This record gives sequence, structure tokens and C-alpha cells, in this order.
Amino acid sequence: MIAIQTEDVDIGQLINAAKKRSTGAVVVFDGVVRDDDIREMDLEAYEEVALKELEKIAVEAQSIHNLCSVDIIHRIGRLAVGENILIIVVSAGHRKEAYEGSRFIIEAIKAGVPIWKKELTRDGSRWVPGEHAHGSGAVKH
Amino acid sequence: MTVKVRFFARFRELFGGDIITGISPGTSFMGLIKEIAGKNREGYDAIFDENGAFREFVILMKNGKRIDCTSATEISVADGDEIAVFPPVAGG
Repeated sequence: MIAIQTEDVDIGQLINAAKKRSTGAVVVFDGVVRDDDIREMDLEAYEEVALKELEKIAVEAQSIHNLCSVDIIHRIGRLAVGENILIIVVSAGHRKEAYEGSRFIIEAIKAGVPIWKKELTRDGSRWVPGEHAHGSGAVKH
Repeated sequence: MTVKVRFFARFRELFGGDIITGISPGTSFMGLIKEIAGKNREGYDAIFDENGAFREFVILMKNGKRIDCTSATEISVADGDEIAVFPPVAGG
């Protein structure tokens, strides 16, 4: 399952579905909204492009790291502290491939998939800077 | 001839989301964005530097494919194109 959606997912169900007969390891990455003195977080995506890029990353990860299965669910919309932002579930024959495949996917997402986060604080809001700071990290009142 | 220009994140706040605009034949990518950005001083300054070049962090796409900012003056836009302009991504 590769998706960009507002709804949360059942991680347990994804783990069960990831277990194939050839599976020896399942790795789950669950990125959550951290309380950096914020109330909530708004996530925005260039959805059509972001989804295609997630699909491409999944295919690459599967091929490079010999994964049995890949699930990537990136949430958008308004999320509270503690809520899931990004869930990556990969399965592989061995732990090394599963860990490396999971790492490959999260790093590729952070490097290029058009998704943005805005932290909502008590005093205002601030865009989370990307790979290159763009001067919008300061709280805007 | 029309194109859709889409701004995201901070740029969306400055320009609004999607803009559908008419273009003349031969309009360059750079010319199109400058024309739209020129109507909003804060927005223009967010995207272009003091020399009128795209700021180094600005990301451009044409029909879902990234475009090198330095070639934006040479690349023309055509009827039906979807252009996107956005700041560095921060997903994950």
C-alpha cells in the first residue's frame, strides 16, 4: 500500500500483511508529531507528484534491497502531537535488508518528495525547514 | 493558451494555491513566474533574489518533472502545462 491520506492506518494489519513465506524480518518506521512546544501540525503535499515519487521510491527500495514488500503511508492534514505522520513497513528475508530498505525509503522521502509541514504553536506558526533553510523557520505571528 | 501554476507551502500562502493564466506563444518559464510574482512584492522577494534570479532553494516543476532553475529562461511553457513552484520539501 502506497498512499497519501488524511486517515491513520492500522500498523498491526500492515505488519501481518507484510509477512510472506520468504519473510524473515519486518521493519516498521513510524514518524510521529513531536511536541516541540507546538499544538498541532499541518501537512501539505503536491499529492499527484508526491504519490508517484513514493511509488518510485518503493520500487527502487524493493529492487536495491531485495525486499519482499513495501508499504508507505504519508499522512496530510492537521495532526496532533503523538499522531502518526509517516508509516513505512518493509519485509525482507533478513534483518540487514529490511533495516537498509527502510532507511533508504525515509531518506529518499526527506530528500525529495514534495510534502511540507507547518508547526502550529501557541503564538503562531512556522514552516519546518527542508534540506536547505529557507528563512521561514521563525515563528510568524 | 492557458497554463496552471501551482504554489505550495509558504509560497501558497503568499500567492494562493492554483492560478490559471493565459500565456503568449514562446513565454518562458522564468517570464511566466516573474509576471505572476511581480504582482506581489513579498512573494516576489521570497522567490527571486536581488538580481532577479531564482533563489537557490526554490524548486520548480513542469508537468511533475523538476526543472533546473538556471535553465528556466530557456524553457518555454505550452498550452495545458502544469507548473509548480515550491520551497524545500520537509516530509517524513
